[in-house]
Amino acid sequence: MRANPDARGLLEIAASTFRADVLPHVAPEARFAALMVANALEIAERELKGLDAAGHSMLGALALLYGEDADDALSGDDLRKRVEALQHRLCIEIAAGDFDNEGQDVLMDSLEAIVEARLGISNPKALG
Amino acid sequence: MHVVKASDQSPPSLLSGANRVRLEHWLAAQAGASRVTVTEDGRLGGGAISLNLAVTLDIVGGPLAGCHACVLRAEGGGRISASIGKLREFVILRAAFAAGVMAPEPLFGCDDPAVLGHDFYIMRRAEGLGAGHAVTRSDAAQPELARELGRQLGLLHRITPDAEGLERLGEAPDCPAQGTLAQYRRWFGDLGRRDPVIAWGLRWLEVNAPQPGAVVLCHRDFRTGNYLVKDGALTAILDWEFAGFSDPMEDLGWFCARSWRFRRPDREAGGIADRADFYAGYEETSGRRVDPARVAYWETAAYLRWAAIAVEQGLRHSSGAERSLELALTGRMLPEIEMDMLRHLRAVSALGGMAAGAVERVA
Repeated sequence: MRANPDARGLLEIAASTFRADVLPHVAPEARFAALMVANALEIAERELKGLDAAGHSMLGALALLYGEDADDALSGDDLRKRVEALQHRLCIEIAAGDFDNEGQDVLMDSLEAIVEARLGISNPKALG
Repeated sequence: MHVVKASDQSPPSLLSGANRVRLEHWLAAQAGASRVTVTEDGRLGGGAISLNLAVTLDIVGGPLAGCHACVLRAEGGGRISASIGKLREFVILRAAFAAGVMAPEPLFGCDDPAVLGHDFYIMRRAEGLGAGHAVTRSDAAQPELARELGRQLGLLHRITPDAEGLERLGEAPDCPAQGTLAQYRRWFGDLGRRDPVIAWGLRWLEVNAPQPGAVVLCHRDFRTGNYLVKDGALTAILDWEFAGFSDPMEDLGWFCARSWRFRRPDREAGGIADRADFYAGYEETSGRRVDPARVAYWETAAYLRWAAIAVEQGLRHSSGAERSLELALTGRMLPEIEMDMLRHLRAVSALGGMAAGAVERVA
């Protein structure tokens, strides 16, 4: 059974209230800590809201290399495990030298898309 | 410097009661003084790893008689893999200061746990602005500041492993690139098999490793945020806790990495000026030419090093070793650091890549 508002809803309103109503009144010596709190709340909010979407973006990025393993129907733990398995496979291939001489352009596109998906949660401002 | 008020965080009881008395006695003996009084002026920022206390030493008698504004730098709670002990840091600071580098003058170093419990040293306090966002705020570029930082780094890099007094630092690496790669593999451990960006960075370093060349004393955290500026001029180079022997181009790559450009990513030398200004100052004093291909190699290494440190900081929090929101958030910086590394690798590859030309150019 889910309470209403749920964890996501609570975080969202807590983060926006903190930024709008608390942060402007924080004393200068506590401002750095307050900004960190706001940042942490917003990361948590984006993660709760967007983890599956990020997982699908990562799967899409890995599909550039491993088309046959992409699967849009996955979610939650199954999605996470699939992304982890493909990332592990890619790590092994990279370490074995499979991209030393060719395929670097596709690899770079794929790595950038993977990092962009994670940045969308941890720091969207750094995407620009 | 950024003094943190007492109400900000609970200051550790490093100089409480008996500690202060023991410190004053120890200092009097070291300074050949009849009496030393230590006054605490507050805790200083910039100490994610070390503990920095602003202190005033009032010395009566002996060659250092007088009042001295100083910083007491002690081992913090969580030492991380890349950092060296406080006494080694003291020895390095002494060597750098003697070589004419604008480092705060080191006065006393102590590794006797009976005094404060931790290793610590005391250096003179420099004035100026340190925070990266503040230093990179100016609309105009600061070419003279970049040039002076280059000159300072050049002076430091004249110190070689056979310099007197540096025996405590241990053996200099035969091949800094290989040594660094092995160290990164240890630091990342399992992450190198789970995160393909880290795996690619490590592989890239392996394939593009330059031939061994000069090995000198490097600062290894020489960047905007770790020096002080007053009225636009450099006053001191700080944070020597990662120093050690390495390829001189490592410090140049670190300084120019995107991670330390703060408000001005377009100003490639530390967010303050162009690389050319920084490199020119370096060549004035170092006695060697800057090797851009080698700097590019070490810039890739810089992103991986910063990534490894960020991961370790995050784990310091998550493991419960040191609960801290700042450490936790540092752990979440990994994707940002990785993106900077990928942007750098794209730029290197647009210039024709490293693998074919690097060895030829640097050999």
